[in-house]
Amino acid sequence: MKFTESILERLDPRTKIISFLLIILCLILFPVKSVKDYGLFFLLILVIALLSRVTPKQILKKLILLIPFILFITMLIPFFKEGHTYWSIKIGKLELDIAYEGIQTFIKIFIKSSLSILLIVIASFTITFSDFLKGLEMLHFPRLLVMLMSFMYRYIFVLLDEAKRLMRARSIRYFGSRYIEQFKIIGYIIGILFIRTFERAEKIYSAMITRGFNGEVPCIKCFKFSYFDILFLSSIIIFLMFIVSGLFHKMGYLNINNPNIWQAL
Amino acid sequence: MASIIKVSNLNYCYPDGTIGLNDVSFEVKEGETLVIIGANGTGKSTLFLNLIGILEGSGNIEVMGLALNKNNLKNIRKIMGMVFQSPDEQLFCPTVMDDVTFGPLNLGWNNDLVTKASEKALELVGLEGFGTRTSYHLSFGEKKRAAIATVLSMEPRILLLDEPTSGLDPRSTSMFINILYTLKSQGKTLLIVTHDLFLTQEVADRVLVFSEEKKPVAIGNYNEILNNYDLLLRNNLVHQHRHRHDEVIHEHEHRHGYIHKH
Repeated sequence: MKFTESILERLDPRTKIISFLLIILCLILFPVKSVKDYGLFFLLILVIALLSRVTPKQILKKLILLIPFILFITMLIPFFKEGHTYWSIKIGKLELDIAYEGIQTFIKIFIKSSLSILLIVIASFTITFSDFLKGLEMLHFPRLLVMLMSFMYRYIFVLLDEAKRLMRARSIRYFGSRYIEQFKIIGYIIGILFIRTFERAEKIYSAMITRGFNGEVPCIKCFKFSYFDILFLSSIIIFLMFIVSGLFHKMGYLNINNPNIWQAL
Repeated sequence: MASIIKVSNLNYCYPDGTIGLNDVSFEVKEGETLVIIGANGTGKSTLFLNLIGILEGSGNIEVMGLALNKNNLKNIRKIMGMVFQSPDEQLFCPTVMDDVTFGPLNLGWNNDLVTKASEKALELVGLEGFGTRTSYHLSFGEKKRAAIATVLSMEPRILLLDEPTSGLDPRSTSMFINILYTLKSQGKTLLIVTHDLFLTQEVADRVLVFSEEKKPVAIGNYNEILNNYDLLLRNNLVHQHRHRHDEVIHEHEHRHGYIHKH
């Protein structure tokens, strides 16, 4: 084991998958009254980021790439939510109302998804994809899905290279022609790509069966839960329970049923 | 020595009607290296796919006394490993180690044995420490060698290699030839399909020549075949060309690893 490995990298992939999934689920599913409450989740993710020893620069670089996507999707929310009109825009005959509630939902969803993506970015730095797949398989994820993902990961770049080569071969013999013909050629390229992929799949399958493949993908189980994994997982769960119970308390859901339960704790 | 592979009257026709193999018969002795040479499209690769039971032609194939049929297929594939021409098809797992362990794990070996065999295979091809690397990021030469390791880890007695040196630079080729020497010294039976006469000269015990009629036309030891200039020219393995040295212009056949007088 290398000494330079961070604590997070030393953890079993299964621990990381479970704990990160739990955090994201809690983050998404439980209702939050004010934006400030997300601070607790942010704190938790910050601690994980510190443990991972990934530099803020690396994280920000990836985050900046992904945030425009969230913005693009969430941007439309304020226009559809009905409520107290906060601001209205007139474009010709079209009148768009932006509701106060809409803006609130927008901010909430934006923060939720940004935090989730922040966590996933950290995860991507600390789990290699092949470890992630192995972890999934050992957690008894459907084998077909895991195999599909593994093949996708293996061949997507090979396929991209092939597409690139085809496009290059086209562009060196292209001297400008009519628009419609361009579509035709792109159609050919897609078709050829499909046939090649299909034939490659057949060859890969024969390479698999000559090595004794019979529908199962065995793997050497090289992961072991250490006491450290248990510590990490349980501390994450306890922290999440604190946050969630705090949120419920604030919302007053449980107070109605049993006012004494929180005082007792 | 007893023959380990026996092929008699093998015919194969592709679904679209193209003839793949035309009445092929030959025998391979245990421990020898048989190099199958022939021009492009003469059915060399088709022969391999038939031997390993992926394509089914008519005729008889016997491997170590076992006739190739559905019942024996698994046993035969335990004895005989095949390395495909394109390493991208041979390496389909996320990491090199996953690929190398794929075969032996499928055979149901226990983990210690699998790890030991895999490490041995990687060491033999000179890729120690490449286990955790992603196959996509390897160079072509490394991929080719990794592809061999994926089959070697199953410890087959017979190895079928389809165009092992195509696309390799001279240094990788000689590295590859060293690997083949090691395998030969281990007593493995090697069947190699190629049109690289240099490789043939280096490793072949016997040479089988495939003709454009999709069938073998000659079998013999290296000297017999490679000195039979007419045979090679007829089967498109050498070509005649004209060149000049200083003042002398002359015409002769062209082949690698062959020094001619001027």
